[in-house]
Formats: sequence, C-alpha cells, structure tokens
Amino acid sequence: MKKIISVSKYEYLHHVSKTRFWLMLFGLPFAMLAIFAISFLFSYLAFDKSPVGYIDRANLISQPQTLPEKQNVFNSTIPLLAYQDEATARADVENGTLQGYFVIPSDFQSTYTINYFANKQVDSDVTSDIKSFIHENLMLQTDIDHLDRIEAGSTISLQSLDGSQISDGSGVQRIFVPILIGLLYFTLVRSGSGYLLQSLVEEKQNRTMEIMITSMTPKQLMIGKIIGNLGVGFTQIAVWLVLGGLAFFLFRDRLAFLGNLNLSGSYLAISLLTVVLSFIVIAGLFAIIGASMSSMQEGSSITSLVILTTMTPFYFAATYLSNPNGLIPRILSYIPFSAPLSLSLRMAFTTVPTWEIVLIFAILIASIVLVFWVSGKAFKRGLLEYNKRLKLRDIFAKEVK
Amino acid sequence: MDTIVVNHISKSFGDKKAVKDIFFEVRPGEIFGLLGPNGSGKTTSLRIILDIYQPDSGSISILDGAMTEDKLNKIGYLPEERGLYQEVEIEKNLAYLASLKGLTKEQIDDRLPKWLERFDLTEHKKKKSKELSKGMQQKAQLIATLIHEPEIIIIDEPFAALDPVNTQLVKDLLIELRNQGKTIIMCTHQMNQVEQLCDRLVLVDDGHVLLSGSLKEVRERFSSNQVLLQIEGDLPDSLPEIENIEKQGLYLRLTLKDGTDPQELLKQLIERGVKVDSFEIATPTLDEIFISVVKQGKNGYEEDN
Repeated sequence: MKKIISVSKYEYLHHVSKTRFWLMLFGLPFAMLAIFAISFLFSYLAFDKSPVGYIDRANLISQPQTLPEKQNVFNSTIPLLAYQDEATARADVENGTLQGYFVIPSDFQSTYTINYFANKQVDSDVTSDIKSFIHENLMLQTDIDHLDRIEAGSTISLQSLDGSQISDGSGVQRIFVPILIGLLYFTLVRSGSGYLLQSLVEEKQNRTMEIMITSMTPKQLMIGKIIGNLGVGFTQIAVWLVLGGLAFFLFRDRLAFLGNLNLSGSYLAISLLTVVLSFIVIAGLFAIIGASMSSMQEGSSITSLVILTTMTPFYFAATYLSNPNGLIPRILSYIPFSAPLSLSLRMAFTTVPTWEIVLIFAILIASIVLVFWVSGKAFKRGLLEYNKRLKLRDIFAKEVK
Repeated sequence: MDTIVVNHISKSFGDKKAVKDIFFEVRPGEIFGLLGPNGSGKTTSLRIILDIYQPDSGSISILDGAMTEDKLNKIGYLPEERGLYQEVEIEKNLAYLASLKGLTKEQIDDRLPKWLERFDLTEHKKKKSKELSKGMQQKAQLIATLIHEPEIIIIDEPFAALDPVNTQLVKDLLIELRNQGKTIIMCTHQMNQVEQLCDRLVLVDDGHVLLSGSLKEVRERFSSNQVLLQIEGDLPDSLPEIENIEKQGLYLRLTLKDGTDPQELLKQLIERGVKVDSFEIATPTLDEIFISVVKQGKNGYEEDN
C-alpha cells in the first residue's frame, strides 16, 4: 500500500508541477470565457434596444407594458410605446427614435394579425416581446382564476413504476447536467488517462521501468499510476467547479435560471459513479496501450479513437430526445466508454429502469476486472520491450511453466 | 546456505531460446561474476532472478525461497540500461526511487545527502538528470541501487562511463560492501575488474554455462605448461624439459614438456649457473580464458548442430 501511495503521489505531483498543467487548468476556462465575452459583445453591439411604437385600433391594450425595475444586458426588454396615430409613429421611425412600430387593427379579434412597419429586418426579440404583450392583454379580457399560475405552466414529475427513479422534468436540467457530466468525463479521460499513457511510455523510453518493476509488482505500479492520474483529472475538475461556482455566485442574479436545477442526489451519484468506473476502465486500457507501445506516436491513434467513443452519445442527441430508451441509447449505455454520457442523457430525459442501471454497473465492474487482468499481462510482457511494439497475440501468448 | 541458487533455468521468447540451461549459486558475502558475451543470456538470467520473468523450466531460490515483496526491498539492482527520469532533479529522482524500496522520508533525508556527498554529487543535486554527464548519471544510478542498504546487490556493468578515479571509488565501495557481508552479483565485460574483485564466477554463452568456479580454480584449470623467464646471458643447451622457446621482448616464453615440474627447471637453471632475474609460471589472463572458452563453446554448439 505504501508503494502504491508513493507512486500515486509522485505521478500526481509530477504532472501538477508542470507548466502545461497550469496552462490547461486556467487557460481553458479563460479561453472559453474570452470566446463567450467576445461573442456576447458582438451580440450586444448588434442588439437594437430602441423602443417600438404601437397604435391600438382594436382597443385591446388594457395593461400597458411594464418594464422590469432593473434593465441589464442579460435581461433587456424592448420598450413598447403607445402612439395615437400612425403618422407620428412613422415620423419617429424615420428620425430614429423608434426602430419600428406595429398596428393592431380594429378587426384583430377576427384576424389575429398585426402589421409591423420598419426599415430593417425585425429582431426575434422584438417579435417575442410583441407576442407576449398581445398575449397578456388578450388573457386579461377573460376572467380566469390563477391566471399567473396557468401562464407559468405545469411541472411534470416522472416516476418509474417501482418508484425508484424520479425525474422532475426540469427543462434546463435536461441538457445542462449531461453537458457538465460529459465535460467532466472528457476532461478526466483526456487528462488523467493521457498523462498515464505518457508516463508509462516515458518510463519505458528513459528505462526507469526496470527499476520500478524490481521494486514493486506491476499491479501495484498500475494502481498507483491510475490513482495519481485520476487525482490530476479530479484536481482540474475541482478547480473548474470552484471557478464556475465563483462565477455563479458573482452573477447569481443574472443566472437565476440555473438556480432552478432541481437535481436529485441519486441522479448525481449514479452519473458520477459511472464516470469514475468508466475512467478506470479507460485508464486500464491506456495502461495496456502504454505497456505495448514504445512511443507516444504509436499509441496516439488508438487513444484518439477511444476518446472519440466517449462522446458518441452526443452524435445521437436527437435519438436521446425522441426515444431515450431506444436501441442506440441502450447499447451506448452498455459500452463502458460511452456509458457515463449515455446514462446521464437518458436519465435526464426519461426514467431508466433500475435493473438496467444495475446491469450497466455490473458491465463496468466486469470490464475493470478484465482490463486489469489483460494489463497485468501486458505489463509483464511489454514493459521491458523498449524498442518493440507488443502485439495482441504477444500479450496473450502462453507462458510455458 | 547459499544466498541465490539458480537451478537449471531456461527461457524462450517466441522461437528464440534466450536461456537454455543456466545454473550457479551465489554465496553470502561474496562478489560473484556473471560473465558472458553480448546476447549470451546474462540479462535474461538476471531478470529471472529478479522475478521479472518466469523461467520456462528450472527454479530460483533467493534468500532460501521464492521471491516476495519483502525480498525485493532487500535487493539493489543496477540494470544494464540506466533509468532515471530525465526531466526531474537528481535529488527528487533518487528520493522517489528510494521510497519505492520502502524507505521512509526520514531515512531518505538522513541517507541521501551522505550518498550524494560520497559520490561528489551534492552540488549537482538540483540538476535534472539530462543535465548531468554520463559518469554522473552512473553514480546517481549507483546511489539508487544502494541507498536502501540491500542485502543482495545485482549490478550490470557498474563501471560503464566512469573515469579511472570514479572506477576506483566504485571498486573500493564494492569491496567495502562485501566486507560488510553483502552478496554481490556483477556482470561486466571488464575482465581486469573481475580479476581484482570477484571471488567466484560463471561464464555463460548461448544460454549455457561454459565455466564456473573460484577465480583461483579457473586460472589454475587454464594454466598452461609455460614459464616466463628473464635471464642474463644465454640459455644453456641441452635442457631436456623444454619443448619450445619463444622470445617475447626481454622475456623468454618456455613451453615445458608434459609432466615437467617448473620448479625442477628452475633448480636446473640455478645449478648450471644461469643468473635468473625473473621466473614466472605463465597463467592466461581472464581475458584470454574468456575468449578461448567462448570460442571452444561456439565450436561445440556448431558441432552439436
């Protein structure tokens, strides 16, 4: 155990002390932030905040628009100003006071059509605000109890027949959480497994491996490396979560929709456990690749393929939306590489039967046992093959006793 | 009880038989030479002893039994191909490798500065391995081999890349370790070092044992019936014991007839009034024995095949 701790500590500190780790750690969020800021800036500059006028010939508007107390860049409403006549509104459009105006005709209640006048293409924000405005005033004409609640819509709670799986059906959660899980998983695989492969190949290239395996068993070496590199990946994720949490705290009033993520503990626990188990399978696989290859270049094509498969469920996003318990989402949930993302997406969109979750965990655990068994053989056979690529049949070649 | 017993091991990799039948035993507190030309099966044999490979047949006994994790900690191994992390400082490199041999942080903090000082590496301890000369890297590797005070030391070419001063330093250290009761297996091609250091040796080639025994036994076994003689004046005629005379610089190499005692020849020379400056029974060097045995061995394999 002491040696496993020594190896994992060394692996962790070795990678964390490198400049490239810190560049990745802070560089990636800052790069994403910069891209977000630039795209936001361009959208903001292109967004026309000038008012829109309207002439109400149908006497429909009993409740004029009420602007939010605090207008900001994240929550802008186009002011809708009432005009008595069309000529004044047209003059204001021409002198730039208004970006356009619309007329509610006297026969609106039979045609439900309004006419919008402007010298430029209308923004979707403008049409959306106009529609809400008309909708609100139409609703006010009928006497309906609990109108506000009816407009807010219903909350649908999904539950499996045995009551074990519950989903609140929250719209944002549906896509936001699987994306986060996918990002977390991808980072772990890219960083943790990538570093593991790199360190194994380096130790073969600099011949440290012979010292290592005369100091401990190959299994101890592999477990130590996996723990250390898992730690590197988790450190990255932890820092990013802290940065994300900090950003959420600073801009919480502007990101109020994220506060509505009604996440269940079991959903998060199952998703995170799948991520960790799948990572161990991939780490074991990368250990086999590292033990079998004599250079990083040789291993990179296979590892790229494995990394690509982790994100496969995103390529079938439409299938997950339409039929999350269909054949493809199910198959991808049973494949250890794609299981975390697939299961997370399915659980976000539907109720996954308990037996399936148990089966997925059983497959993952069996895969870990298998991968460790094979990697133990690959370590024995391949770690001292400094200049030769180990073939699959070499790994399984029977050793005559 | 022997420290290591190698009991007729063999090992193949695919179609290639790296070790066919190798056997020897290493006694406590001796320096044992494992000798052989390149590709003779030495490194594979060492890896089998170290439990990196399993033998196809035969067995290994180390410290009276099979290899265990505890026994691994009692072995210091200097492999033929040196292994240090090139991008890591020497001090960190050695501390990590020492921790893998079971040393605590306190033990490392206590021992490492002393070893660095002994090998004159203290001022280089913050340098990365790749920044050190090959000789310095070799000394650092020796520290990694010895810092955990192993009972058994297995060293493959310990003098590689060392200058004469550092070669002497390592030789003195090996003798000191032997005197402390450590068991040492040394692989080297430098026969002069074997002659100066090894108590016993085994010579292997093509996966077979060609020769084994103590240094004295081996030299006696191969001693030829020749003497090297340095005299003033000429050699008297009619010396019936001499079969052939060959001049080698100031010396005469005399080949004696079978059954002739060199002491008898010396006695006759003195009785005949020859002034003898030097009289030496010619024994072949280990280098000569090595070349001769390997050549004979190869001829033997070819005949067998």
